[in-house]
Amino acid sequence: MSRRRAIWLVARRELIERGRSRAFLLSLLLTVALISLGVFLPSLIGRDRATLGIVGPPPAGLAQVLEARADASGLSLVVVDVPSIEEAEARLRDGKLDAALELPADGSAPEFVVKTTSNSPLYGVVQSTIFATPQLAARELVPADPNQGVAFAFANAGVVLLFISIFTFGTWLLTGVVEEKTSRVVEVVLSTVESRDLLIGKVLGIGILGIVQLTLMVAIGLGVGVGTGRFSLPPSTPNAVAMLLLWFVLGYAFYSTALGVLGALASRMEEASNAASPVSLLATAAYLFSLVVALQDPDGTPARIATFLPPVSPMVIPLRAALGAIEPWEIALAVALMLAAIWILFVIGGRVYSGAILQTGARMRLRDAWRLARGR
Amino acid sequence: MLEIQDLTKRYGAVVALDGATFTVRPGRLVGFLGPNGAGKTTTMRCIFHLAEPDSGTIAWKGAPIDRVTRLRFGYMPEQRGLYPRMKIADQLSYFAQQHGLSARAAGAATTRWLGSLGLGDRAGAKLETLSHGNQQRIQLGAALVHDPELLVLDEPFSGLDPLGAETMSAILRERAAAGVGVVFSSHQLDLVEDVCEDVVIINRGRIAAAGPIDELRAASTRRHLEIEVAGNGNAWIAGRPELQNVQTRGDLVRALVPVDVDLSAILAAARAGGEIRRFSFQPPTLSELFMEIVRP
Repeated sequence: MSRRRAIWLVARRELIERGRSRAFLLSLLLTVALISLGVFLPSLIGRDRATLGIVGPPPAGLAQVLEARADASGLSLVVVDVPSIEEAEARLRDGKLDAALELPADGSAPEFVVKTTSNSPLYGVVQSTIFATPQLAARELVPADPNQGVAFAFANAGVVLLFISIFTFGTWLLTGVVEEKTSRVVEVVLSTVESRDLLIGKVLGIGILGIVQLTLMVAIGLGVGVGTGRFSLPPSTPNAVAMLLLWFVLGYAFYSTALGVLGALASRMEEASNAASPVSLLATAAYLFSLVVALQDPDGTPARIATFLPPVSPMVIPLRAALGAIEPWEIALAVALMLAAIWILFVIGGRVYSGAILQTGARMRLRDAWRLARGR
Repeated sequence: MLEIQDLTKRYGAVVALDGATFTVRPGRLVGFLGPNGAGKTTTMRCIFHLAEPDSGTIAWKGAPIDRVTRLRFGYMPEQRGLYPRMKIADQLSYFAQQHGLSARAAGAATTRWLGSLGLGDRAGAKLETLSHGNQQRIQLGAALVHDPELLVLDEPFSGLDPLGAETMSAILRERAAAGVGVVFSSHQLDLVEDVCEDVVIINRGRIAAAGPIDELRAASTRRHLEIEVAGNGNAWIAGRPELQNVQTRGDLVRALVPVDVDLSAILAAARAGGEIRRFSFQPPTLSELFMEIVRP
């Protein structure tokens, strides 16, 4: 029997046993529910608020009519008077106003001014209130990138999804390794399967489950978002999703191998999280860095450096890619570095795993496991 | 035939194996005996590459064993373990496939073995819901399901009640009769004497004795003598220095004598003491032989 078949049998066992476990089905249901809610809920609660500045002498009662109509279409509108169009533009740029309505004193056509994207419900309210002109002229101060908001939301959600997925399935690998060690079944398994092949098979099987869950989460998130009209998909969507899946695979391979190797050192399930804490800390630091630093400044030097650090790149790169702030060569180099890191981790980790997985008794140290593997 | 040649293994300063050499022939049931720490488990682990010997060779049918050869072996480790939350049929089928059986053949073998282990109606049960005894049966099943040509069992009788031990013995005998080489370790020497044809006795990493039990017993230089002389107590043995380790209980005298002792002289002395009610002159039992060999 080939080693490949042995690896596949291990992977398939993980896939079937984990895939039909209550834990997996529950976590799948829960994430699907959370994602749907996360996309859908903002449209249910929290009415949109807007402030409209009026420049020029408003016809009597215009403000009241506007507010009433806005209220009817689910918008809390505040109407303020602004002395000049310059003042209104300044406030628009500051974000103190959502839109300005200029009513020229000479009676010429009114103009609707916004900073970038037009706030469509507000525009609709104003347009329908002022019947003077068939078409209310609209003007943008800053040329609009219609996908800016969506890209930011995607980048944000992508990092969160990646972190959750990598960590969830990495932890499964950790507990799976400890379970096999503490139940001693590993000795039976290793009488036919090479220890490295067992580790590869486990990483593979649980990883396939992870890809299934991540794909499902993304599909449902996008589907619900588009279906409820929360956002429309920018043209970069397929690219962003591909980046997400690619970096899940790479990040998961990296972190789960590290967690599996550390799990082999533990002798009881209670020690597992302790043994894994260095890797958990690293993953959390990478996650926080991505959310706090890289999201705000995806072009900055810290984000550029982090792109090439294997523990961080799985979260930084999809984020920068979603924001359109990464060069193709950066991605290619980062993938190469990541693959090299996974390979090195596997060579070193595989040996530690072999040395530690058959040992009983107290928790092992890395160095002892390394030495043991030589003369096992 | 499994041939183990000059196996050595150290763990730091501890010598686990020190030139161990023995063979297991097809169709033979071999008891692998030795005090705790003598090297039994290490030897078995070396067969399955779970431990790497420092030197020495292990050959199967004349060729060094590798991963593919080992697929034809079955192993029951000393520390039992299976997947607690996996259904027992899935579990046996998984191990059968890991030994190279196709999915279909593995399914058929699983059904057959669950039937012979008396668990045919529990195929869908998770292992952890089974009683301890039934879990032991599945553990044996995992070693047997692929019909191995060599069966290596580390303490298969430990923790079994007399009925379980009887079932285990029957299965091992049946496998040996089918041509499988079976080697198992045990501390229950009477049971081994009852079940096995051959034994290998290991002590401090070296093989101290190996061969058919009857031959080893016959080759012993000592015999166990029992004589009961009515109403005499042990008065008749006075002045007979060839009787060693003498124990008396009432009129019964037990002693060790050299194999070439002058038996007629002893009998004459006993008859002079009174009527002989019991007389036996036997080679040592396996248990006695074992003690003679491993006692420092």
